[in-house]
Amino acid sequence: MQKIEALLLEPVGCLAEFPSAPFHEIALRLFGRKRKAGSSAGTLYWYVLNLMESARAPIDAEKKSVAETLEVEAVDAATIYEDVVPALAELKSMGMRLFVATSLSRRAAARFIERNSLGEFFSGVCTRDDAGGVKSAPLLSALDGASLPREKTMFLTDTLEGIKTARSVGVHPILMMNDPDEAQRLAMHNPAGGVVSLHEMPDFIRLLAAQNQKA
Amino acid sequence: MKKVSIYRPTTVDEAIQILSQHGASASVYAGGTDLLVRLKNRLEQAPSYLVDIKKIDNLRYIKEDAQGGVEIGTATKLAELADSKLLQDKYPMLVEAIGKISSPELRNASTLGGDLLQEVWCQYLRGGYSCWRNGGYLCYGAIGDNSYYHSAMGGRLCYAVYPGDAATALIPFDARAKLATPQGEKELSIEQLVPGDMLVDGRIQSHVVRYNEILTSVVIPAPKPGVRASFEKLRPRGVWDFAMASLGISMQLNGKTIEDSRVVFGGISGKPYREKSVEAFLKGKTLNADLGEQAVSVALADAAPLKYNATKIDMAKGLLASGLARLNA
Repeated sequence: MQKIEALLLEPVGCLAEFPSAPFHEIALRLFGRKRKAGSSAGTLYWYVLNLMESARAPIDAEKKSVAETLEVEAVDAATIYEDVVPALAELKSMGMRLFVATSLSRRAAARFIERNSLGEFFSGVCTRDDAGGVKSAPLLSALDGASLPREKTMFLTDTLEGIKTARSVGVHPILMMNDPDEAQRLAMHNPAGGVVSLHEMPDFIRLLAAQNQKA
Repeated sequence: MKKVSIYRPTTVDEAIQILSQHGASASVYAGGTDLLVRLKNRLEQAPSYLVDIKKIDNLRYIKEDAQGGVEIGTATKLAELADSKLLQDKYPMLVEAIGKISSPELRNASTLGGDLLQEVWCQYLRGGYSCWRNGGYLCYGAIGDNSYYHSAMGGRLCYAVYPGDAATALIPFDARAKLATPQGEKELSIEQLVPGDMLVDGRIQSHVVRYNEILTSVVIPAPKPGVRASFEKLRPRGVWDFAMASLGISMQLNGKTIEDSRVVFGGISGKPYREKSVEAFLKGKTLNADLGEQAVSVALADAAPLKYNATKIDMAKGLLASGLARLNA
C-alpha cells in the first residue's frame, strides 16, 4: 500500500455508535421495508442506502424530510467512540487530510459534527445532498472536490457494503473491527486492512510511511 | 523452507557491518529455535541472510562483575543459565524462571538473546496469515481465537502477547541490556528493550533493536540485602508451552516491611507488563498473609480483554496472590 495522505470517514459505525431504530423507521416509512430485529445500525444504514439507491423515482420532499428528521434523531442518540477525538487530533497533526464522506443528509452530518465538536478536524464534508446520491457518490465528491489521489486515500467502514463501495471508487477499504464476530466474517472479503479502534490509525499511517520510505 | 545465505562473522563489528549492508533482509542467528521456525513457515518478514554469531567467542559467558552483579553474554544457552551456580546463588528466581522456559531440548539450543527478542507466537502469524507482522494490515487474533496467545491488556495494531519469560524475570532485578550498534555501545533497561509493539525500521516488533544492532549482554545489578523474589507461570502443560500468564516479583524488605518492589506480569500483554499500581500499593506495607488479597484488588485495573481471554486476567491475579504468599512463607 502506498503512503496515505487522506482519510474518508463515515460517521455511522466509524466515529460513533448509532441506534438502529431510526434506520429501521426510515426503511419502513420511506420504502415499506422491514429488516429483522437485532441488525446493527451500520447494517441497517447501508440497507437503507441500498433502498435509496435502487428507488426508481426520486424521493419526494415529504419523505426526504422524514428521513432527515429520523437521521437527526439518530445523531442525537449516537455516542461518539471515546478514542475518536484524540485519534483525529493526532491524524491531523500528522498532516493527514480528513473528510467526512457520508450518505447521511447535510443536516444530519452537520448536526453530528457540531454536536461532537469535530469541525476543526475536517478539511471537508461531503453528504448525499452535496453529492446528489448515496454510497459511492459522497466518496467521489470528496475525492474529486479535493483532488485526492485514490491510491493514497482510505475509507473506513464496518460493513461489507462499505468495503465494496470503497473498492468501486478506487480507495483502500479499511475495516473498523467493532464487533469481532462480524469483523471475522468481513475479513474474508479482503479489506485492505483493519483496525480495532480509530486510535490505531496514526500507527497504521506511520507504518505505511516507513514501509514506503524503505522501499 | 525459505532459502537463505549464511554469514559467519568472528567479531561483533564484522557482524554489524554485514547487517548494515543487507538492511532488514538480514537477521542475527544464534540458537535458531525461533528464527528457523519463521524461515520454515516462510513468513514474509523472515530474513534472506542469516548472520550466525555463534563463532563470535565473547558473547557466551556468565561472569560476576566488579560490583557484585552478573553479566551474561546473550549467546549463552538457556540451559547454561539454568545450570549456573553463580546465578543460583545470586538470583535463584531467575534460574527457576529459565528452567520453566520451553523444554530441556530447546533450552540446550535457545539463547538468552533469542528468548528476549523472539517473535510472537500468534497462531495466525505462524499459520501464514497476512497479518501486521507478516506483510498485511490486520490482526486476526483480535477478531479470532485469542484465548491463548493474545493480549488482555489492549494492543497497538498487533494484539499478540510478548512470549518471552526471561524479560519477565529480569525486570524485577532492574537488569539492563547492552547493544552493539554502528555508533557504539548502547545500554537500555530490559523494560526499554521490550516495550511491546513498536514500529522499527518499517516493521512491527516487540523490541527496539534495529536491523543493524546486536544485543550483546545483559547486566544484572548485585542483589540487595533483604531482597526476596518469586517467579510463577501458568501454562497448559508442564513443559514446552508458553505462559498463559506469568509473574516475576521482587521485594526489598526491611524486616517484614516492604520498602520497594517490582511486579511484572508475562503472557497477558504485548510486553512484560510492569504493574506499578501494585508496586505503589505494596510500598510501606507489612508482608503478611492478607496482603495477597488486598494487592489483587488493585491489580490490572487497565485490563482490556478480547472476546476469549478474560481468564488471563484472573490467572494473573491468582499468580500475584500466590507469589505474595510464597514470599511470605
